[in-house]
Amino acid sequence: MTGTLIYNNLYIYLFLGLFLLCCGILGLLYRRTLIGMLISMELIMNGAGLNFVAFNRFTSPENAGGMSFTLFIMGIAAAEAAIALGIIILIFKRFGHIEGQEIKEMKD
Amino acid sequence: MFVTMISALVTILSGSIIYAMIGLVATMFGIAGLYVYLNASFLAMMQILIYVGAISILIAFAIMLAGPLYKNPREWSTGIKFAVSFVVSLFSFAVLFKVIMRAPWMNTKAQEFTVTTKDIGRVLLDKLTLPFELISLLIVVSIIGAIMLAFLSKGEK
Repeated sequence: MTGTLIYNNLYIYLFLGLFLLCCGILGLLYRRTLIGMLISMELIMNGAGLNFVAFNRFTSPENAGGMSFTLFIMGIAAAEAAIALGIIILIFKRFGHIEGQEIKEMKD
Repeated sequence: MFVTMISALVTILSGSIIYAMIGLVATMFGIAGLYVYLNASFLAMMQILIYVGAISILIAFAIMLAGPLYKNPREWSTGIKFAVSFVVSLFSFAVLFKVIMRAPWMNTKAQEFTVTTKDIGRVLLDKLTLPFELISLLIVVSIIGAIMLAFLSKGEK
């Protein structure tokens, strides 16, 4: 197996977590619908979880703190997705669309 | 790893939102494979169960409930907005990349790794009991909140 060698390095995982974070920021800023923003948010949370597991694997390999924090991140992401989708459906019933820029009632 | 990167790009750059959801599923599979490389097979299974099984189905239902997408198929914003968000993302990438390369990590080579699923359960119920219970409380509150939102919209009609 030649591919397994590059996975034995901390920097690969940090780079991938950073890539996911920047993809999430890009999507969060330029997506028009609210569901697209929610999907980008999931990308950011997964990058954070990947970094937690990588630090646990490489810098303190004798306890499981980072893995349990990744489980917490998954729970928080699930709760956040449920609430956000409820709000999105409510917004769709009220306004008839789910575009983030067009919702201006709270601003006025 | 490259599967994860390419499907993350598909997720954010695709024109239709249902393609973005499929890209999200592929990204989650890639991250689960990376967890297997990191000797965390329990987390890989959890990733597949929660994200691929639950959250993507939730997002698919929201896409279907939030009306016909063919009325407004364009997901792209204006060019100037894309340019600005690309610059912001690239700037944060550069800054954090420099931080990663400069920081003195303790040891970046792989060593013996002995954490099993049993250890994760022991940590969750021994050292991190309070956050564990708080997470369950948070999920209950969020489910009750979602049901309340549904009832609220029904009363409005």
